[in-house]
Order: sequence, then structure tokens, then C-alpha cells
Amino acid sequence: MKPVRFSTSPNVVLRLPMWRSRLMLFLLFVAFAALGIRAFWIQGPGNGFYEAKAIKGVQREIDMPATRGKILDRNGQLIATSLEAKAVIAYTDNIPADLAPEKITQLAKLLEMSEAEIKKKFKDERNQVFLKRQVDPEIAQQVRRLEIPGIGLNNEYRRHYPEGEAMAHVIGFTNVEDRGQEGIELARDKDLAAQAGKRRVVVDRLGRIVNDIAILQFPQNGQDLQLSIDSKVQYIAYNALKSAVEKHKAKAGGAVVLDVRSGEILALANWPSYNPNSRKSLTGEQLRNRVLTDTFEPGSTIKPFPVALVMEQGKVQPDTNMTIGQKLLIGPKPITDTHPHGMLTVSQVIQKSSNIGTAKLALQLEPREMWDLFAAVGFGQAPNIGFPGAVAGRLHPHQKWGQSDQARMSFGYGISTSLFQLARAYTIFARDGELVPTTILRNPEYKPGTRVMSAKTAIEMRNMLETVTEQGGTAIRARADGFRVGGKTGTAHKVESKGYVANKYRAFFVGLAPISAPRIVVAVMVDEPSAGGHYGGEVAAPVFSTIVSETLRSLNISPDITDRTLVQNFEPIPTGVQAQKVVLKQ
Amino acid sequence: MNRATLTLLALLLICALSLVASQQRARKTFVALERAQVQERKLNQEWLRLEFEQRNLSKSSRIRDVARNQLRMSPITPDRTLYFKEGL
Repeated sequence: MKPVRFSTSPNVVLRLPMWRSRLMLFLLFVAFAALGIRAFWIQGPGNGFYEAKAIKGVQREIDMPATRGKILDRNGQLIATSLEAKAVIAYTDNIPADLAPEKITQLAKLLEMSEAEIKKKFKDERNQVFLKRQVDPEIAQQVRRLEIPGIGLNNEYRRHYPEGEAMAHVIGFTNVEDRGQEGIELARDKDLAAQAGKRRVVVDRLGRIVNDIAILQFPQNGQDLQLSIDSKVQYIAYNALKSAVEKHKAKAGGAVVLDVRSGEILALANWPSYNPNSRKSLTGEQLRNRVLTDTFEPGSTIKPFPVALVMEQGKVQPDTNMTIGQKLLIGPKPITDTHPHGMLTVSQVIQKSSNIGTAKLALQLEPREMWDLFAAVGFGQAPNIGFPGAVAGRLHPHQKWGQSDQARMSFGYGISTSLFQLARAYTIFARDGELVPTTILRNPEYKPGTRVMSAKTAIEMRNMLETVTEQGGTAIRARADGFRVGGKTGTAHKVESKGYVANKYRAFFVGLAPISAPRIVVAVMVDEPSAGGHYGGEVAAPVFSTIVSETLRSLNISPDITDRTLVQNFEPIPTGVQAQKVVLKQ
Repeated sequence: MNRATLTLLALLLICALSLVASQQRARKTFVALERAQVQERKLNQEWLRLEFEQRNLSKSSRIRDVARNQLRMSPITPDRTLYFKEGL
């Protein structure tokens, strides 16, 4: 038998229908095509999703912290600084329901909160709540050691004010977000504020940063700010004011010290004050910067201005005699003096603070002339010192003045100013007739002023102001040992809703020192003194005296009273006297 | 494969390995830099804190308190002060 080849054996010949193989081929094609399309999709249009997922695994965006600028006084002493603090956060979903009660007790103790308060916060609907902000880093570490799940710490800053209450109104304070809310912190917030940065980095599986990709935003530290305030002078002014307010059981007080050469504000003190480091239950009374934001009728402190103007016009000399008399009948109510005077010289009108004398002198002026002088020394305009809330006061247009208005305005009624405006106006007597521009930022150069009156008149008035503190003047208590001082007292009835109140006063003293070459102008105001007198010469003048003598000593200004300043022979310190070593307590 | 190809292959391998090594070194240096920067920040904060503490210890109110109560000093008054003429 002829062998039959396998392939040709009719027994094994399979006759498969053609469509089956075609179908298989087609299905395989479809499957590959699907894979192809999917691959194309992943590589191409659908790529973003996977890329984002991959990036999420290795890239992070992290904050780059920046600190708010420091505030320094004129000598570079720190008066406000930001230190790191922590915010304690509760991630409420992660806090176990069966958290040991003693842990809550410990947490509450550390954060100085009640347990109930903490439990309430744990039950908050939001996933993330602040338990407490601006916590001291050491306390935050103790919180971390409690190892409570769901409690986290965030970095933030806390502002510290070493000078505390003494400087509160000048500096103001910031909120928990480190933004200025009051004072210089608010006025210069733009410069002081820090701008945190952001950058994108690559992290390894341990979370360490291994590479920088990009800085999304550069961090910017706030600028440091140097003020014209001298913290020593500020402390002197604040303490003198505080003790006077307490001694006279007064409602409030303010004091300001100006450098007459540079126009810098050396001190600006207010009472009542507050502690800017702990600002619980603050009241508006405490927050008010009375020196700049309160206006009042300045009383007799304004007298030197119209009197100087009459002198400037050559109508009178300091030694010109005037008849004063018991009263001056003008307007609805006669003008009187506290003590009646028969005859006075112009100089004595200032020394004894005669209302009648001043009114008689002022009535020799045209209303416009007096108005021009008041406007030239800055009354009725807000001082431009870059401080929030500085007010303009009230100066009615001269067209509306009657004779009685003009007379009363000459001794400080019917016009209102702030204590700061008053102090600034007095620089014309200290600067030989020039009004100096003022600033709260350090700028110690001598500044040219705006001439308001001749040097001759200004110097004459300065000497008249000195007589106020001499025997026979209204403010003997303003004297400062070692220095010649001059100034003007003021006592004004307070105005309330029903007009002037008979038994409520403000006591003022505004003056300058040393008379021979003035360096500072000091203005003091005590509001509603109710014990130990109410006159400016009794209440405010002693504050002036303390501020002047201590400030001039701290500024190393040599005394100008020469009768006892010289020592020809002095005994050297005996040998053998040794300084004791003293260990200071913290 | 001829010799030239082998040499190129070897060079390629060396380059590839050195790239890996330098990458590793770069990362290590970067980590060190990061650590140093964190340290710098910490030290800065520490300095700010110390500056603040120093200020707290040197402020007028404390000096006055220490001088009066611990050192039993009293303020200068002009009647106890001797002034010297310049050029004496």
C-alpha cells in the first residue's frame, strides 16, 4: 500500500469553516486596538491625572516663614518684637472617643482652659479647630509630649512688647494674625508686615526635602522701624503722669515731650493705659490716645499766642502797663480773673494769667490776624505725623467771630486743640519764632521750621513764660532744679452735654526748657483732678517739673542755672573704698 | 563587536554610573543645606528671644526697681550734684 502522507490523509484533514478563524483574528485585533488606544490615552490626552498622582507622591508645597519687623526706639532699644509661638489645633475626626480623662485634664491645665471648653471644641462640627493660639513654644512641647492623637501644632508668631504699659499707646498692638490693630503697629503695618513665602520641593520616602523645584513666592521679612521715642524719656513721662493722676484722683492724663531741634516726639504718654502683651477686656477708655485724639478747650495755655502777636505788631512791650480792673463787660457774661488785679504789665498778664488783660490785648487785633496766627501754629488742622486718629480740633472761621468770641478765644474758650497740637505750637517760642515739623520716626537732624513770628518777639515771650515759674507766677511748682524753665498753666472747665460743668476741670501745663537754649517742649494734661487742687499750676506743673529735670539729665544736657553749678575744689574719693559686689535677683 | 564599540559602551556605563553617583551626592548636599537652613532659622529665633530677654532685664522699670529695692540707691537730686566747669 502506498503510504499516505499525514498531511494529505483524508482522515486528518480538518475542514474548519473560514469565518471562525476570521472572527478570532478580528477579536485579537480589537483587543490589541483597545490596548493601543488605552496606551495612547495614558501617554497623551489623559496624561495629566497620572502625572498629578505621581507628583503628589514626591512633591510638596511648603511655607517659607517670614517675621514681622521689629520696632526700636531712638537708641536702638527693642520696643516690639515677634517671637515664634505655636497654635494648638484639634483635628476633631482623629481624636479618639475614649480619650483618657486625665489627658484632657493635663491638656486643659497646660493651655489654661477649662476641661468643658476643651471637650466642647473636640465636638466641633468642623474637622479642624484652634484650641489655643500663640502658645509659648515650651508649653507647646509639653502638649506634644502628651501624645494625644489628633492634636497638632502650627507655627506662628507672637508679638512681645518689653516696655508694656508705658509705651502701649504709641506702639499699639497686633492681632493673632500678626497684623497691626492700633498705634504705630497699625499706622505702619504695610512696612512692618511680613509676607510668608511658598516653595515646591521634592521629598523622599522619609519625607526629607531632597530637591527644590521652584520658589513660588519669595518670603519677605517686615522692615524694622526706628521711632523717635526715647524709651527712657517715655518711662519718665509715663511714671510722672501716672503718679499725678493717682495723687489727684483724676480720670485720665496725657503728656508729650518734643525735641525742639529735630521736631521728634521723644515721649507720648497716656493714662489710663493697658498692657499690650495681654489684652483681655480692654475698654475704649484705656485704648484712647488722649494726646492725639482728644480735643479740648486749651484754657490759659493759649494766652501767649495772641499776646505775642500784639507784641509783634509793636502795639505793646513786655513792660507796658495796663489797667486790668475787676471785670470786663463783654458778651453775655462778664470776663473775670481768679484774683483781681489793678494794674499789670504785659509780662505780668502772662505771669499771673489774667483773663481780662489777655482779652484787652487780643481785642487790639483784627479777628483775621488772630485766626491767621492760630492757623499758622497748626490749630484746626490735623498734625501730619503719620499716626492714626490724630485730630484737627476746632477753629471757627474768623468771619463768624463776634467781639466776645474773640475775647474768650484769647484765653482758650471757643477753640479746641489736642495736647499734641498745643505742644507743637509752643515750639515757636522755643525755636525763636519758627514752627518745627514733627515726626514720630527717628530723624535727629536739625530741621528748618516755618517762621511764624520774629525771633525778638519769640524770645521776649520765652522770658515772659519763665516768669510764670518764678515768685509771683502761677506755676512755681513747674521749676526744675538746675534748669531755667518757662511755660504756661491752664485750667479749663470741662464741657459736657449741658455746657460747661462748674466742678469738673482739665489742668494743663505747657512749657519749654532750658530757657537759655531750649531743647524740649513738654505738655501735660490731667483730666478731672478731684483731690489736692485742680489748677494747672498745682496739678500739671509738678509733672512738667519732674519730666523736665529727669529728661534733661537723661539727655545729658548741662544745667543752665549757673549760681551753683561750679565746683572749684573737690575731694577725691578716699582710697580703700571699694564697690560692693552685688548679685542681682532676676 | 569591534573594539571601538566596546570602548564606547564602557564609557557610556561609566557616565551612567557617575551620573547616578553625582545625583546621590547632590541630594545629600541638599539635605545638609536644608538642615543648615533650619538650624539658621532656629538660631535666629533664639537670638531674637535672647535679645528680648536682655531687653526685659535692662528696661528702665526694672533698673529702677533693682536700684531702689535691692541696691538701696536713691535718685540723683540737683542738691547732691556737683557740676564742673568745662576746661577745669
